[in-house]
Amino acid sequence: MQTTTLPARSRVQSILRGDSIQRLLALGALLLLLAFFSAVVPHFASTNNYIDILTATAVNGVLATGVTFVIITGGIDLSVGTGMTFTSVVMGIVAVNLGLPLPLGLLAALAAGALVGSINGALIAKAKLPPFIATLGMLYVTLGMAQVISDVHPIYFDQQPAFQGFFMSKPIVGIPNIVWVMLGGAAIAWILLNKTILGRYTFALGSNEEATRLSGVNVDRWKIIIYAVDGLFIGLAGIVIASRMNSAQPGLGMGYELDAIAAAVIGGTSLSGGEGSVVGTIIGAFLISTLRIGLSVAGIPDQWKSVITGLVVIGAVWLDILRRRSRA
Amino acid sequence: MKLTRITSLAAGSMTLALVVGACSGSATTAPAASTAPASAAAPASSAAGAASAYTPPTDAGKAKGKTIAIISKGEQHQFWQAVKKGALDEAAKLGVTATYQGPATESEVDKQLTMLQTALSNSPAAVCFAALDSKAAGALLQQAKDANIPVIGFDSGVDSTIPVTTVATDNTAAAAVAADHMASLIGNAGTVGVIVHDQTSQTGITRRDGFLAQMAAKYPNIKVLPPQYGAGDAVKSADIAKAMMTANPDLKGFFGANEGSIKGVLNALKETGNEGKIVAIGYDSGQQQIDAITSGVEAGAITQNPIGIGSKCVDAAVDAINGKALPEKIDTGFSWFDKTNINNPEIQAVLYK
Amino acid sequence: MSELLVEMTGISKSFPGVLALEDARFDLLPGEVHALVGENGAGKSTLMKILAGIYKRDAGSIRIKGRDEEVPSPHAAQSLGISIIHQELNLMYHLTVAQNIFIGREPRRGFLLDERALNAKAQQLFEELHLNLDPRTRVGSLAVAQQQMVEIAKALSYNSAVLIMDEPTAALTDTEIEELFRIIRHLRDQGKGIVHISHRLEELKQISDRITVMRDGRYVATVSTAEAEIQQIISMMVGRTVFEATPELPEKRDPTVVLEVKGLNRGRQVQDISFQLHRGEILGIAGLVGAGRTEVMRAIFAADRPESGEITINGKPAAIRSPSDAVRHGIAYLSEDRKRYGLALGMDVEVNTVLASLRRFANSFGWIRTGATRKTALEHVQALAIKTPGIAQRVKNLSGGNQQKVVLAKWLTADTDVLIFDEPTRGIDVGAKSEIYRLLNDLAKQGKSIIMISSELPEVLRMSHRILVMCEGRITGELSAAEATQERIMTLATQRESVAAA
Repeated sequence: MQTTTLPARSRVQSILRGDSIQRLLALGALLLLLAFFSAVVPHFASTNNYIDILTATAVNGVLATGVTFVIITGGIDLSVGTGMTFTSVVMGIVAVNLGLPLPLGLLAALAAGALVGSINGALIAKAKLPPFIATLGMLYVTLGMAQVISDVHPIYFDQQPAFQGFFMSKPIVGIPNIVWVMLGGAAIAWILLNKTILGRYTFALGSNEEATRLSGVNVDRWKIIIYAVDGLFIGLAGIVIASRMNSAQPGLGMGYELDAIAAAVIGGTSLSGGEGSVVGTIIGAFLISTLRIGLSVAGIPDQWKSVITGLVVIGAVWLDILRRRSRA
Repeated sequence: MKLTRITSLAAGSMTLALVVGACSGSATTAPAASTAPASAAAPASSAAGAASAYTPPTDAGKAKGKTIAIISKGEQHQFWQAVKKGALDEAAKLGVTATYQGPATESEVDKQLTMLQTALSNSPAAVCFAALDSKAAGALLQQAKDANIPVIGFDSGVDSTIPVTTVATDNTAAAAVAADHMASLIGNAGTVGVIVHDQTSQTGITRRDGFLAQMAAKYPNIKVLPPQYGAGDAVKSADIAKAMMTANPDLKGFFGANEGSIKGVLNALKETGNEGKIVAIGYDSGQQQIDAITSGVEAGAITQNPIGIGSKCVDAAVDAINGKALPEKIDTGFSWFDKTNINNPEIQAVLYK
Repeated sequence: MSELLVEMTGISKSFPGVLALEDARFDLLPGEVHALVGENGAGKSTLMKILAGIYKRDAGSIRIKGRDEEVPSPHAAQSLGISIIHQELNLMYHLTVAQNIFIGREPRRGFLLDERALNAKAQQLFEELHLNLDPRTRVGSLAVAQQQMVEIAKALSYNSAVLIMDEPTAALTDTEIEELFRIIRHLRDQGKGIVHISHRLEELKQISDRITVMRDGRYVATVSTAEAEIQQIISMMVGRTVFEATPELPEKRDPTVVLEVKGLNRGRQVQDISFQLHRGEILGIAGLVGAGRTEVMRAIFAADRPESGEITINGKPAAIRSPSDAVRHGIAYLSEDRKRYGLALGMDVEVNTVLASLRRFANSFGWIRTGATRKTALEHVQALAIKTPGIAQRVKNLSGGNQQKVVLAKWLTADTDVLIFDEPTRGIDVGAKSEIYRLLNDLAKQGKSIIMISSELPEVLRMSHRILVMCEGRITGELSAAEATQERIMTLATQRESVAAA
C-alpha cells in the first residue's frame, strides 16, 4: 500500500467539483438574462445602460460580499442595511458636522461598521444569541442610532466636494469609481476567504463548528472577527451609498439586507453554512440589478418586478438543491 | 432530465410575466376623474388666502393645557421636520401641549396605525392625522369619533367623513401648475416621466393624478410615461429614473412628486451627465433642491407651506376643542418657485432645509 | 522505572441526570499500550474526554509527567501533548482531508495560507502511515472508513506523548486494523503512551500491555494483559459471569417468502441485487466495509431511491418510493450511525420510542395520547433493559449502547415485520450484546424476519440462518449456517468481479 507523489487529477474532474458548477450556473443565468433583455427590450443594449447596471450594483455588491462571510459560517446578518445607514451618518458627522478631514470620515465609517459587526459577533459568540435574533436586534438599534445622532436630519457633503468627486467620477472606461471600489472590496474578500486563516476558519465553522472547536481553534474569538469583517464591508457600503447621494440619509437602509442575502444565496452561498464564494455573490448581485433594470427599462410596473425577483431567488436556490441531490 | 424541465418552466414563466406586465403597463391606469379646480394658465402661485376663509384663533380657550396628538406620515424628510416646527411653535404660542410622531418611512402603514392607537388610548383632547393609507385607518378613526375626540386631517388628510377639517395643500391644483410649467419649458410637446413616492397616500394619488389630468386635458402633444414608484428613496428613484432615460432616449422632462423622488431624479441626471438637458421639476424643498434650483439644474418646484400646515392644524385642533365650526378644507397654499423668485421673502418663509 | 505520563485520581463528573464518574482513576506509563474497557455507560469515554480537555472534571486531580495540570480546553490538551481520536467522527465535511488534519496549524507564507505546503505535509504524513488518500479530497465525499482514517491521521500528526483512541477500529477492515496496530506498536516503541478504548477484547489481547476495567463510573481493576483471561475481564466488566452460551438458532424456518428483491440497482454500489427473505429467518449480510451492504438496505428502504429493481412483499409487488412507504409496508431500518439517522437527540426517550408510530397514538384530531405513549416507552425500557433515569431523559445524554436500544424500541413499537439491522451491536458492550442477540432470536421466533448487516464475523456466524456475502456492490455468494466458516466468508467478501488468480 505504498503511495508515491500526489496523484494527478484531471482538469474536468476539478471543474466538475460541485462549488464551481453553481458559480458557472449563476454566471450562465446572468449572461442569459443580459442576452434576453438585450434582444427583447428596446434601448437595453447600450453602453450607458450597462454602466447604469454596474452603478446600481455597487452598494448591494459590497453589502452582499460582507454578508457572505457570515452566511458561510452558518449565521446570518439582518443588520447590514440599517448598519450601512448608521455608518454613513457617522461619516457625515465626522467629515461635515465636526469638519474633520475627509479621509478621517472614511475611516470613521469603516470603524463604525467594524464596531457594529463586533457587537453582533460578541452577542452571538459570547452571549450565545442565535444570529437571527442578535442581528435583528442590532437592525433596530442601528436604525434608531442613525436617527438619534443625526437628529433625523440628512447630512450633506457639499463642503467636501472631493467626496462625490472621487467616488462618482469615471476616469476608467467611463465606469464610476464606486464600481471599482466594489470590485476591489470583492478582491480583498476573495483573498481573505480563500488564502488566509480567517477564510479557512470561516468555512470550518460553517461546516462543523463543534469539530472546529474540538480541534483547538478558539471558535468564539474567530466568530467575532468574522462578523467584524462583515462590519467593515457594511462601513464600505455606507461610504458608497453616501457618495451616490452626496449625503447621509438617516431614513433609508431597511430592506437592503434582503437584497444582500438574496445575492449571496443566488451566487451559491448555502444558508446552512460551509459553502459560498465571493465570485458567486457578485454574480448574484449583478443578476438582481440586471433583472430590476431590465424590467424597468421594459416598462414593467413595480409590483411585477418584486414578484419576478422573488421567483428568481426561489428558482436559483431550488436549482442548486436539485443539482446537489443528483450529484449524491 | 429534470433540470431542463425546470429551466424551461422558469424561462416560460418569466416570459409570461414580461408579456403580462408589458400589456398591463401600456394600458396606463387612467387617473380618476379629478375634480381639479381648473387652474388658470400658469399661475405663479396660489396665494395662501385664496381658498380658505379661515381665521386662526388667538386664544386657546378650553384647550389651554390640554394635549393634541399629531401623527404624521414620517420623519424621513425635512418637510416633516418643518411641519413639526410649525406645529410645536404654534402650540407653545397658544399654551397647549402637542406631541408629534411619525413612522420611519412612508411605507409603514401598520406602524403609523399603531402610533395612532397608542395616541388615542392616552385620551388626547384632539388628534391631527396625515394618513399613509386612509382606508386602513377607518376603524381607529371611528374609535376616536366615538370617544368624542375631534380628528383633524392634514397634508394627505384622510379619505373619510370623520375628520372635522383637513389642513392641506391643494395637491391636485399644485400638481397641475407643475404640469403647466413643465409643458411650457419643453415647448408643449415631447415625452415626460413621472416618479411618485407611493400609490396609497392622498398626496401620492392626488399629485400624480393632478399632473396627469392637466397634461391630458391641455397638452395633447405631450406623452406622459406610466408613473414609476420609488418609495421616496433617493437611490431607488435614481435607478428608476436612469432606466426610464435608457428606455426613452428622447425624454424631455421629469416630475418628481415628493422630495425623495426629485432628489433621485437630480442624482440620476448628475450620474448620466444630463444636467441641464432634461427639465426637472420637483416638489417641496430641502437643501439639495434649493441648490439645484439656484444653479439652474432644476427648473423649479412646488413648495407647500409646511410650517403653515403644522401651525394651522394645531389652530384647527384648538378650535375644534372649543366647539367652533370649521370649514371642510383649510388650504395652506402652495407656490411655484424657481431661480427668479427663490430669494423672495415670502418664498423663503416656506422653504425648509 | 519511568515516571507516569499521566496520573488521574479521584475524578468525578456528573451531567444533568447522570453521574458519569465517581472517584475514577487511571494511569499511563510511557512506552505502553493501555486498554480501557467497560460496559457502555461505564465512563471510559467520559474519563478520557476529561483528559483531552473536552469536559471539565468536577473533582479530582490530573498529573502529566509528574506535574499537576489543568486541562481546560482541547487546545490546552494539545499543548500538554495529549491528542485524541474520537469515537464519533469530528470532521468538517466541506473541507479537504489536508485542511481537516491541519486545522489550526496551517502552514503559511507570510500572511497567506500555503496550500501547497499543506498538501505536501499531509502527503508526507500519509506516506509514513501507509495511507492511500488524496489530501485534496473533500472529506464529505469519503466513505466512513476513510473518514475514520483521516481522524486517526489527524491525531497522529500532533506527535503527542499521549494518544487516546476511542473505538478506533469500529469502521475499519482487517487490513486497515493491522496497519493501525503496526503504527501503534511503532509509537509505543518510541516511548509514547497510548490509551486504547475498545469493546473488541480479542483485539486488545493482541495489542495492549495492561488493561483497566471500569464499571458504572468507577474504577474496578488494572491487570497485565499477558496474565489476564478474557472471561476474567468480562466478569470484571459486567460484575457477573456471562457465559457465552452456544447459540440456539430458532428451528427449521418457514418457507414463506416475506420479502423478495429482484434486480436492484443504484450506481456502482448496488449492482443487480436479488435475494429472498423468509419468515422467521435471520439473514446475515457479510462483507468488507465499502461492499455496499448499507447502500443495498437504504435502497430497499428508499432512503436513497434505487434506479431500478422490484420489491415484492408477501407475494405482492410493493411500490416503495420513500421511507414512509417502506414503514407502511412493515419494513424497519436501524442505521449504522444511530446519532445521525436513528434518533432525535434533543428529545426524550418517550418521544423517540413512538416516533415512527405516532399516528397510532394520536386520535383523529392529532392529539397525542400521552398515557399510551408513556406506557409503551416504559415497557420497552424494561424489556430492553435500557439504562436511563427515566423516559423523560434526553436521548443525547444516554450512552451509545442505550441509544441503540432506544432505536430498537422505536421500530418494535412501529410494529414492523421486516427488520433491517445495520451493525446492531457496534459500540455496545458484551453484556448488552448478548441481550441483543437474545432479542433478535426472540423476534425471529415470533415470526419477524430479520436482515442483519455485520462486520463482526463471529457475530454473523453465530446469529444467521443464512449468510449473503457482498463485494463491491454485488452479491458474491450465499452460505447456509452449516457450511459457513470465517474463511469461506472472507473469500467471498474479497472476490472481485474480474477474478484474476489462477
